[in-house]
Order: sequence, then C-alpha cells, then structure tokens
Amino acid sequence: MAQVLDIVTTAAILYVVAAGLLIIFGVMKIINFAHGGFITIGGYSALAVTQLGWTPWASFGFAFAVGCLCGMIIERLVVRPLYARPLDAILATWGLGIIIGQVITLAFGREVQFVQAPIRGAIDALGASYSQYRLLLVPAAIGLALVLTWVLNGTRLGLETRAVIMNENLARGLGINSGLVRFITFSLGSGLASLAGAFITPLSSVDPNMGVPWLVGAFMLVLVSGVSLLSLAIACVVLGGAQVLVSTYGNPILGGLTIVVLAALILRLRPAGFARE
Amino acid sequence: MPESQVPAVVAASDAPNGRSSAQLRAVIAVSLIALALIAIAPYVLPMFMVNSLIRAFLYAAVALTVDILWGYTGILTFGQSAFFGIGAYATGLIFTHLGFSPQHALLAFGAAVVVAALVAAVVGWLSFYHGASPLYASVVTLVLPIVVAQILYSGGEFTGSSSGLSGFESFDISIETWFRIAGAFLVVLTALAWFFVRSDAGRVLVAIRENEARCEYLGINVSRVKILLMIACALIAAIAGYAFAGVQMVVAPEYAGFVFGTELIIWVALGGRGTLIGPVIGTLAIDVSTAYLSGNLPFVWKLIIGIAFVAVIVALPQGLMPPVASALRRLHRRASPQAPAFVPSLQAMTAEHFAGLSGSAQHAIEVRDVRKHFGSLKVLEGITFSARRGELLSLVGPNGAGKTTLIRCIADGGERSEGAILINDRDIARRPPYACVALGVGRKFQAANVFETLSVAEALRIARTRLQRPLFSARAPTLEVPNAVVKVLQATGLDQRLGIEVRHLSHGQKQALELAMVLALEPGVVLLDEPTAGLTRPERALIGQILTELAAQEGLCILLVEHDLDFVREISSRVIVLHQGQIVLDGTVAEVVGSELVRDIYAGGGSMRSAGARA
Repeated sequence: MAQVLDIVTTAAILYVVAAGLLIIFGVMKIINFAHGGFITIGGYSALAVTQLGWTPWASFGFAFAVGCLCGMIIERLVVRPLYARPLDAILATWGLGIIIGQVITLAFGREVQFVQAPIRGAIDALGASYSQYRLLLVPAAIGLALVLTWVLNGTRLGLETRAVIMNENLARGLGINSGLVRFITFSLGSGLASLAGAFITPLSSVDPNMGVPWLVGAFMLVLVSGVSLLSLAIACVVLGGAQVLVSTYGNPILGGLTIVVLAALILRLRPAGFARE
Repeated sequence: MPESQVPAVVAASDAPNGRSSAQLRAVIAVSLIALALIAIAPYVLPMFMVNSLIRAFLYAAVALTVDILWGYTGILTFGQSAFFGIGAYATGLIFTHLGFSPQHALLAFGAAVVVAALVAAVVGWLSFYHGASPLYASVVTLVLPIVVAQILYSGGEFTGSSSGLSGFESFDISIETWFRIAGAFLVVLTALAWFFVRSDAGRVLVAIRENEARCEYLGINVSRVKILLMIACALIAAIAGYAFAGVQMVVAPEYAGFVFGTELIIWVALGGRGTLIGPVIGTLAIDVSTAYLSGNLPFVWKLIIGIAFVAVIVALPQGLMPPVASALRRLHRRASPQAPAFVPSLQAMTAEHFAGLSGSAQHAIEVRDVRKHFGSLKVLEGITFSARRGELLSLVGPNGAGKTTLIRCIADGGERSEGAILINDRDIARRPPYACVALGVGRKFQAANVFETLSVAEALRIARTRLQRPLFSARAPTLEVPNAVVKVLQATGLDQRLGIEVRHLSHGQKQALELAMVLALEPGVVLLDEPTAGLTRPERALIGQILTELAAQEGLCILLVEHDLDFVREISSRVIVLHQGQIVLDGTVAEVVGSELVRDIYAGGGSMRSAGARA
C-alpha cells in the first residue's frame, strides 16, 4: 500500500515541478533551462522564510512572488531577443541557471541547509504510516492543475494564450498582444518553478545546485506531454510510477534513470508522446 | 539526340588550384609554427601552466568535435563528454584492475575506441531517422551523459563510484613529453578539421544544417551521414579521454557527465561556433584561466563565465571569433582585398543517358489505386495512372484537389496511406525520399527550396553528391554536370554567378537553380510543383522551352503541377485533372480544354485564371 502512496505522491511532486516548464514551452516554444535555477530560487526563498522566522506556510506565496519577479526581469533582458532562435534559447537559459546558482552561492554559501516544513510527522493512510507533508503535495498538485486549467479555459488571458499557442501570427493579426502574453507566461512559469522549489525543499534540503536534477526530469516529462496539462498528468503518473517501481525492485540508481530513458524511448517510437497527435 | 554542346568552361576563377595551394601552405605554416611553440614551451612555462595546458589541449580536441557537430552540422550535442568519459574510464579501469603494461595500454585504447564507436552508433541510430526533430537529437545527447555518469556512480568498487579511480600506474612519460603529445594531437586535429570542413564533403554538412529536407530530396541519406559523423566525433573524444586518464592518472564520473557536456558547448559558443579556431582558443583561454582564477575567486569566476555566455548567445550568436577576426583583418588591410570565393569550372558531361532513366522500363511512373487520408479526411482516393518516358504530364485542378499531396506521395514512400507507386517499374514501397531519388525521382518544391548560404556552385555540387563521391580533403577543381543543367544555367545567367551566395539571387534565379539541382540528380522522373510560380513572363517561357526539350530530347518523364492553363496548353503532352482527390479527366490538352466537366469544376472553385494568380 505504501507503494501506491509513493507512486501518487511522486507523480504529484513531478507534476508540480514540471508544470511551469510546460506552460513556457507550450506558449513560447522555448525550453527554459533556467527552470532548475528557478527551482533553486524557490528553495532559498523558503530558506529565507525559515531564517526570518515567518510561518513556513508563507514560503509558498513568497517563493511564487520572487520567482515571478525574477522571471519578469529575465524575460525582458535575455529571453525576448531569442524568440526566433529556440536552440539558442536553451543555451542562454542554461547560462542563466549557472548565474542563478553562483549568485545564490555567493549570498547563502554553498553548504547544504534545511528548511522547516509546515507540517511534520506521519499519519495513517491506507493502512500505512505515511509522511503528512508528502500527502499534502497530492491535493496541492491537484489544486494547481485545477487553477491552471481555469486560467487557461476560463479567463480572457487564457483565451488569448491558447490563441497564441495555436497560431501566433494569426493571434497577433487579431490584435492580441502576443509579446505581453509571452511576458506574462514566462513570469508565471518562473513563479511556478519557484513555487515547486518551495514545495520540494521540506522533503530534502537546499543547495545551490538542487534544481539541476529536477530540470532534466521535468524537461523529459514536458517533451513527452506536448503542451497539454492533462497529458502531463498522465506522463507523471506513468513515468513517476515506473520510477518508484524500478527503485523498489531494481535499484535506486536505475530508478533515477527511469524517467529520462523511458521518455527518450517513448519519443523515438511515438514523437507525440502522451499527447494526442 | 544532338551531341552535347561544347563542354562549357565558364566562370572559372583566376587560378583555383593556385589559390587553394596558397591556403594549404598557409595552414601548414601556421601548424608548423604552433608545433614549434609547443616543442619549446615546456622549457619556458611554469610547471602548473604546462599541466593546465595539457588538460586544456585535450578538452579543446573534444570542443572541436562539438564545433563540427553543432557549429557546422547543426546538431546541438550535450553528449561529447560521455565519449570523453568512456575513453578515460577505459584507461582507468584497465590500468587499475589489470595493471599497466604496453599490451594493456593497447587494450585500453582498443576498448576506448570500440566502446565509444558502439555507443555513438546506438545514439546516432536513436537520434537520427527520417522525420526526427533536431530537438530530439539534443534530448538523446542529453540523456547519454546522464546515463553514463549514473552507471559509473553505481559501479561500486569496480568504477570507484563517486570518487572515481586514481593512483593507478600509467605511461612512464614525462610531463614535458605529454605536453608535446597533447599539443601535437590538437594541432594536427585542428588542421585536418580545417581542411575537412572546407572540402566538398564538409560543405555537405553545412548543407544539412541549412536545409535538411532538401538534402534528403537530393538523394543524400542524411541520417547515415549524421550517424557516421557522430561515430567519428565520438572516436576523437574517446582518444582525448584516453590520453587524459593516461596523463592525469585520475578519472571521475564528472568527466562523463552532463555538466561537462554543457561546459564544452559554452567554450565553443564563446569562441565562435563554426570557426574551429574559435572553439580551440576559447577552450584553452577559459580552461587555463579557470585553473588560475578558481582558487582566488571560486564562485565569481564561474559567475563571470555564465554572464559572458549568456551575453554572447544573446548579442553575438556567432561568438567572439568573427568580430576579432574582422578587426584583425581591418588592422592588416592588405594590398589585395578579400580573395574571391572559390569557383570550380563548370563542365557538361558527355554521358548519353541520365542515370535515373531505364530504357527497358515499361512505365516511368505507375500509380496504382493510391489513397491518402488524414484521419477521416480523404485527400486522395483511388488515384491510378501511368506515364512513359518522354511524356510531359500536367496535373491541374483547383486548390485543395490534392495535387501537391500526390507529388509528395510519389517522392516519399512513407506518405501514402494505401496503394502502390512504381518508378521505372520498381516499387517504391515505403522508401524514404533519398531512396526514391535512387530509383530516379527528382522533386522540385513549390517555393524555391535551396541552400541560402552556399554558393551556386556549392549547391550544384551537393546535388551531385549521390552520383559523385565528394572529396574529403579539398574542393574539386571542376564541376561536372549533365548537359541539361548547363543549359538551364546558361539560359538564366546562373553560369556567370557560380560563386555568388544563393541568398543574393533573385526569386526567378532561385527557382532555376532548384530546377538545375534536380536535373543534376539525373532523374528519370521529374516532379515539378509550380515551377513557374512567381516568375516573369520571359522566364516562364524559357523554363517551358527547357522542359519540353528535356522531355523530347533526353526522354525524361515530367510531372508538372500548374495553375496557369496557357502554360499547360503550350508545353504538355497530356493533362490530368484532379478534383476533390480523384482523377476526373486524363487526356490530351485539346480534350481537357474542350471539356464541359473541367469548366464546371473551375466555375465552382473560381476560374483557372484567378486560381493561377494565387500561386
């Protein structure tokens, strides 16, 4: 039973981590390799909240706000000139990730530090004793998915965003300010990455390179999901589930490779991945 | 059939051979100076510098392979570190577990190149297939170093896990000698790469970067070229890794990892992708300064590199080398301005038949009950017709009738949903475009589809790659093409512009160049999708005349999609009318022009005239 919980919570964590990357990729067709850097920013935002002595619950909102703000600045300075060069955008955002990591190292030191979790301890769930915080991430991921779905399908901004996703030139011709849509998308995606960083830090610890391992996994999940929030959920359950099973019955190192290897093979056999063609 | 005209020798540059041998001398001279510097440097430089430079030389050799893959061929690879790591671990593992001996050194070398080649072949097979996106290849090269590093981490005692292997016995060679070996390796490699990328074969790589689809339709097996290149680059990286482990006597998983893979890209990008020298200088400068500065300003230095990298990618995508080189050139303004581009002399071939023509074939094209649907949308339904050599068959019909789809199905075996297509009586089955070219198909696209940054002569050379193996070390001094190609070039004035970059040509000349490239394939069946779209009236008449001559004199079977009924009437020997995915009429020009049915179809979808204006 604990394994089912492992799979569900792992999928939830992956979903939270990959959502911001998916939004940016979907709208801007740009792979944001600074995603790992933004996750790190979120982790250190949570650390700052702990150090300031605020309630740990504040770390989520704080991390989201810091991520959005950094995303806005970076979109203006770096990402905007690269819209027409998607492969270069990967490289420039990877460079940004390096910059973020070094600035954080200079500000906070390079050692591993710990963040206070908002809730601690275990509860009995499905007949097993399980970490409360991990379980909390499941409703958090579902809530995030619902909010994003509502923003995309229930608001004016979402409508314009979907128009840009489908046909940017046509959208621009219809008077949609696609530059603004991109700006908002990038800062929102950055904020989500940072929020994800705040979500995952109570599970382990923070260090200046904490985002990089998550970046690669999130990148692969986004590639197999296309641009759909629903197929991202499916990908997280399937690949996250495979990761848990391989780690349990194989070994943890192979488990760590499960997502990247499976995703690469899936893309080879079916370039659309989990998305409908 | 008239004898081919005088072998036209036109527009040869003043002394192509003299110029290339001057370049050869210059490169050899620079290489010799570099080798001499490397020979004396260990006497002059401090030991720490010598040590750092050995490492930097080997890293630069790997950076060179990244430049060839990414800068020249357009494959953004994160994975060259994995091959470096494979080479290093082959040495480390064998020397640690079997001990050092000359035999074991050879064994380690063999293991390094064999494993690297096998892994590269698998990675290449995964990454490069017909229809693969360039991003997918990058994804696979990103996964590779992650997998290799994780395997090394999980190797326990055998691979030394995260601390790697160290303290093993290695070659009994002094540091000074290692310095000279590594330096000479880098200089020779750079010189060879310099000749290679400027050779006819090297131009093929640039053509793939510029327009991969056009290369496929010129009969080049792009996936195979990329896989072979991947293997060659993997071997070089593995040899660098082998030497690295031999001299440093330490290996660690980081050397095979993803972060090192991205560092290689940073060095190449800063130095200047696609310049060879830039990445070498970039790697040497950054790696040596890192060795000196990372002690004093550990995090700030890496921050500076990160900022420089982002700034270069955003503002100077070609890296620091091109601006530096042009500044140097301005300083040294020589008496003679920049030398003109190398232009081979054009020669008409004397061969009697096109390679793609088969005299014994009953039909040039045979299309049997071909269907194409996208889901429930039927684009082609039960298309059946055949055509013989010498026929000039026009395909007309309103927009959306399925004309271009039919052309696409004939040129790419993977396109149709059902039915069979035979070229020269041979079934194309599910062959990809390059293999259809081998059967005798040549396809010209609707919009001029050429190589913008290549010269006219280079573009024609690419089109000849399938039939004439390109040189790997130099430019061939002559360009031999079928007589028909010479005619097209002469008629459109392109024979006087062989050295001009294609992007400077007019729209009409680009269309003519693409037609010439298709004819240079010596096809038996030529598929032309609106060859006259956007051309002026005289240009159109000229193309029409060339096409009728080709059909009548060379025996080509030409299938033409055209909206301009006047043009169709002038040149066709037969017309097929498509409507809503079906053939509604197949007959002579007179039959089609007089047909009530055709008039009705066009009356429903606008007149032929207005359809033609849409192009």
